[in-house]
Amino acid sequence: MDFGFSAENEEFRAEIRAFIAEHVSPEILQEMREGYAGAGIGPLTRDLILKIGERGWIGMSWPKEYGGRDADIIDQYIFEEELARARVPLNLGNFIEQAPAIMNAGTETQKKYFLPRLVRGEVTFALGYTEPSGGTDLASLKTRAVEDGDDYVINGQKVFTTRAESSSHIYLMARTDPDAPKHKGISIFLIPMDTPGITVRPLWTLPGGRTNEVFLEDVRVSKDTMLGEKNGGWYVAASALNLGRAGARRYCIYVLPFEELLKYLQNDELGREIAQDPVVQDRMAELYCEAQVARLFTMRSLSMVRRGVNPPYEISSEKVWGPEFQIRTTEAASQILGADHQLWDEDTAPMNGKFPREYVNAMVSAFAHGGTQVMRTAIARRGLDMPKE
Amino acid sequence: MDLLLNEDEEMIRDSVRRFFETECGVQRVRENEDGESRSDTALWRQLAELGWLGLGLPAAYGGGEAPFTQLTLLFEEAGRALAPIPLHPHMTAALTLAEAAGRGECGALAESLIADACMGERLLTWAWDERGPNIGPEAVRLSAVPEGNGWRLNGGKRMVEAFEIADYCLVAVRTNAAGAADEGLTLLLVEPDGDGISSTTQGTLAGDELSEVQFDNTYVDGDALVGRVEGGWNLARPMLERAMVLNCAMIVGASRRAAERAIDYAKERHAFGQPIGAFQSIQHLCADMITWVDGAELLTREAAWYMDQGMDAALPAAAAKSFTNERCQMVLREANQIHGGYAQVYEYDQQLWYRRAAAWSMRLGTSIEHRREVARALFS
Repeated sequence: MDFGFSAENEEFRAEIRAFIAEHVSPEILQEMREGYAGAGIGPLTRDLILKIGERGWIGMSWPKEYGGRDADIIDQYIFEEELARARVPLNLGNFIEQAPAIMNAGTETQKKYFLPRLVRGEVTFALGYTEPSGGTDLASLKTRAVEDGDDYVINGQKVFTTRAESSSHIYLMARTDPDAPKHKGISIFLIPMDTPGITVRPLWTLPGGRTNEVFLEDVRVSKDTMLGEKNGGWYVAASALNLGRAGARRYCIYVLPFEELLKYLQNDELGREIAQDPVVQDRMAELYCEAQVARLFTMRSLSMVRRGVNPPYEISSEKVWGPEFQIRTTEAASQILGADHQLWDEDTAPMNGKFPREYVNAMVSAFAHGGTQVMRTAIARRGLDMPKE
Repeated sequence: MDLLLNEDEEMIRDSVRRFFETECGVQRVRENEDGESRSDTALWRQLAELGWLGLGLPAAYGGGEAPFTQLTLLFEEAGRALAPIPLHPHMTAALTLAEAAGRGECGALAESLIADACMGERLLTWAWDERGPNIGPEAVRLSAVPEGNGWRLNGGKRMVEAFEIADYCLVAVRTNAAGAADEGLTLLLVEPDGDGISSTTQGTLAGDELSEVQFDNTYVDGDALVGRVEGGWNLARPMLERAMVLNCAMIVGASRRAAERAIDYAKERHAFGQPIGAFQSIQHLCADMITWVDGAELLTREAAWYMDQGMDAALPAAAAKSFTNERCQMVLREANQIHGGYAQVYEYDQQLWYRRAAAWSMRLGTSIEHRREVARALFS
């Protein structure tokens, strides 16, 4: 049992903080906020991504042969945590979530093309999983890829495809055998977003960001775009899907609203007045303890990944506890701060209107990347070996 | 950073678990609860002979000098097995004597007790609780007035474990009532059968007995001193923190076993044409039980780790205790629900875990008190 960061970890944290202090200017943050609100990735942001890529911090825990640095996964955690705490909404973890699957299942050509470009931030994937009919029951997806000579022709629709408007590629799951059992007829394709037949339509969300619908009409791609074996896509994706639910980025999404609320109650004049109420203090203390559990769940998952284990249920626990904690926090914040909590305008509201934004943001966590009920079922079936029938 | 057990830790957990599984089945737990002493001296002796009682005590006294994190594993397993032995009060007192010895603040009597505690030759306990809130220095009102070489004690202690069978009891007294609450505290060793000490026992929900102890003009000699006069809070604070963490470990161990038993039962029990464990409503209860007990376990182990690092453990210990008390009660509640009607039946085993984990969660400060400590750290 070791609950502490090493001296090397702390040195690395200092390096990242220094980088952020030097290179993350208010102008870049403003551009990124506008990008989040639909303007796409701007030039300052693009430049920042390249600078980060140059330093080898994207995919830093990968093996050297694939462009990583063989770095401690805890350092990768620190890198992502520091960016998230500096409110740099780059979601770099997301950029490379698919890399392990490419390392495991990709052809040499695919590895050589994608991995170095992912590290440098030149290739980014939008995740083409979810469909209107399916949601978390991902394996029931209906998008079809039909073989035609050396090509596949793809038709279907994806939804909640975040960053589809700004990504270079889509990491697409499609059905290649409609007659096989649902998990055994799925393949994965790595397709440039500018391929003819792909249309992106924005869906604007309550927290103020953009996600998308993606329509695929007679999209013709070569067989080389397939990742792994035909009809083996579910198994290519499954472990990345599990691992993608762990790490600093998600942890920060769950816990930063609590930390912001605490700071407001500790430092703001009105906040300090509210925090004199012992009932408020009791509620905050309870949330504090729960936040520690979220942190420990994240560090436990990383400890397992570090030992080469794909956690059978622990990440699902994290994905139940974290989002529900985030929702408890934001609901508590609303009742602790009362009428002030609803004020939305950035230039006049407390904390620039962060509170009501976090409030609507929290719900997204509980269904994005797998609903909490589905996660509970996964804990029971995979972790506790409970029967299906 | 690695939150999982290392090889040494796994070995400790596995061998202690094997020991309790072999030697301390539910039959033995029941026999002790129904018997006269309610403490299994044979099991205690076995544990001592295997060296487990000395695990966390200094090598100079014959102990294993293991980190506190490893000691929590022993307590998780003792809690899991519902071992009917006074491990918690004994180790709480012995570790405090060892800490005093480490600071060079420990007399010959106390030093000899550490070595005996390692071997299980003499049984120790401690007395802190009085009436009212219990986790701060203000809890101690038992009066000790200097007289000659020692002190004259008047007052009482409550909720003392194993008092009737202990050889020595480490008692927190107030030797100076004038100053601030955390000044004027002193720790003294008393013999439970000494002159001027009377006690009565009360049965608990857990099936054990706690003593109410009365000190009536009791004279305690200066040799009984542990730590410095009026410097007692310096020892008592880490004593309480260790006691809280070890208590959490026992709750976690018992709750995890209760969760596992309920999950096993859900796989076997058929209703409405299938195992009830195939119903998602039941699966989700089971998922929550494991998530909550995992959370309590991680908080507990982290607090123990803080102590091993010599870091201030007040906040993590309070966080662990407030979370564990309430969440593990919820774990037991869901486990009861899965067992259904049988959960209330005496001859059915579920209640053994339920009653103990619940009672342990009522000791050493409530969730409300510990959250007040957390809030103090956040808002003072």
